[in-house]
Amino acid sequence: MGVPVRPSRADAADMAARDDLPRTAAGARASVRRALAGFALAALALALACLLLGTDYALGQATLVATYAIAGLGVVLIVGQAGQIVLGQGALVALGAYAECLLAAAGWPPLLSLPAAVALGACGGAVASLPARRLGGLYFGMSTLAFALVVEEVLTRWTSLTQGAAGMLVPAFGWGGWRAQTPLAQFVVSLAALALAWMACRRLLRSRLGRAWRAVREDEAAAAACGVDLARAKSAAFILGGGVSAFGGAFYAHWIGFISPEQFGLMLSFELLMLVFLGGVGRLSGALWGALVIVSVPQLIAVARDALPGEGVGSAGLETALFGVVIVAVVLWRLRGEKRRGGSLR
Amino acid sequence: MLRAMLTFIQVLVSGVAMGCVYGLVALSFVLIYKAADTVSFMQGELLMVGAFAVVALQAAGWPLAVALIGGVAGAALLGAVLERTVLRHTLGQPAMGQSHLGAVLLTFGLGLMLRGGVTAVPAASHGMFALPLPWADAVVRLGPLSLPGGQLLVMAVTALAAAALSLFFRYSRSGLALRACAEDARSAALMGVPVARMHTLAWALGAALAALAGVLLAPITFVHLNMGFIALKAFPAAVLGGLTSLPGALAGGVFLGVVEALAGLVLPEGTKDVVPYLLLLAALLLFPAGFGARRAA
Repeated sequence: MGVPVRPSRADAADMAARDDLPRTAAGARASVRRALAGFALAALALALACLLLGTDYALGQATLVATYAIAGLGVVLIVGQAGQIVLGQGALVALGAYAECLLAAAGWPPLLSLPAAVALGACGGAVASLPARRLGGLYFGMSTLAFALVVEEVLTRWTSLTQGAAGMLVPAFGWGGWRAQTPLAQFVVSLAALALAWMACRRLLRSRLGRAWRAVREDEAAAAACGVDLARAKSAAFILGGGVSAFGGAFYAHWIGFISPEQFGLMLSFELLMLVFLGGVGRLSGALWGALVIVSVPQLIAVARDALPGEGVGSAGLETALFGVVIVAVVLWRLRGEKRRGGSLR
Repeated sequence: MLRAMLTFIQVLVSGVAMGCVYGLVALSFVLIYKAADTVSFMQGELLMVGAFAVVALQAAGWPLAVALIGGVAGAALLGAVLERTVLRHTLGQPAMGQSHLGAVLLTFGLGLMLRGGVTAVPAASHGMFALPLPWADAVVRLGPLSLPGGQLLVMAVTALAAAALSLFFRYSRSGLALRACAEDARSAALMGVPVARMHTLAWALGAALAALAGVLLAPITFVHLNMGFIALKAFPAAVLGGLTSLPGALAGGVFLGVVEALAGLVLPEGTKDVVPYLLLLAALLLFPAGFGARRAA
């Protein structure tokens, strides 16, 4: 339990710095430099990938990475900023994807359908977190998990709307006469979407709400003593996180071109969790690095499997097992690193 | 009228039998949650692996009773080994959301490894296997009422396991030590309880309970690759029981099984699978302390 005092300016600055939010001029310059370096690195990596793998393939993968990163940003808000646990974020991605798919098929322009998808995701986040609002902790995990399983079942059973397990084809993204059909166009659109979501999240982290989230994460009792409404701050995290993830889901639907309930099952929820865990839960940029790993690992596993002798029967199981191995190895690696540094996972 | 009554009783009994399996898995969740403060997402896989182990041992020519003991003991050993090698690393992390996150991801990853390992065995990946448990195919007749022996067997074994567990926790030295750890690990360590060893014991017990549930599930759904999905329903059962109460978990499981069976009778086809999760959400909203839990201050 911390002593319930208002954090001094120095403490606030320290907290802000740890969360990648520069307050001083020097900090801002360092942050800009780091962002530029990251951007240059990413551009270089993309160029290299284009050379090695072929432009279309590399751009397609980069599009996926950006889309996963958007969905991951939602989890970063909930897990990294507010310190709550969420086990069913895949369902909110699904809500965004289905809303966007149905509305786009009905002829809505993206400028209308995307906000609707985000709103649906936010509503989903509110409903999923409502039962555990006053309990907190693991109960959020339980209620979001239950919500996700219910959503998956509803998407499967409501065949008149969603065509059930058979899945739906998603119309191409675009407005007016223009359609984003080339890999380059899709990449540019998803990059713009990522930038939009990123800026929104950055603003959010600097706001009163963002500070409240970090206070709740660090010490609930102290936060409450400072006048933070705990239940409200936590709900807000789930609502906004749900909206951001649904935004990612809307683009996911367009780029994949086909959605069915099983794409958004428990596996996706855990992939998103692993994504933010990998990249560092406290940072927005963690979502991007995590997304890079999450998209590339299955491909690397497929390559590794082809290289192994004795193909055939058991290969599907081998792929699952290898993915499990990767998860375990990565989590252990992160935990060990944190233990050495003596800090918590940020 | 009589016929409707009989159907009702039969559905009730099958619900209780299914609920016993939920309850056993929920018991293993709660046991691990209390002792290690983490949620295990691999109980379903342990359940499946345990059932497959018994099937394999039996196919290898072991007598059924020995195969049963071997399978459950093997699962316990697997749980202990996993704790020693992998899960132990989450210990000593701050008790914040992030440490939960690490442990949850670890168990999920381990579950994927177990699942992938079984899928890679060609004989196991496609096919349903039956376990020739005694009395599983018998039908018990009580007047006009006929009940499948398998379901009665499930109930009897669950009752036995629950009794054994409660004796273990009340009278045995390790049982008391385990409870002390769950109550307050720091004080328990100061009193000379080997806390790390108790963690291993908790995971081993949890794995053994899951494997037992898998064996008991065999007469109801057969042994197959996806039988572990049932473990997801143990979460609502555990929450209904208050998440920290062992008797509550078992009671929650039985309650869930009965409600699900009755829902299958009343509601349209296919909606019954959602009932446990809706119950979970409703229970959190209305009875946040669980039905059977004594609220810890």
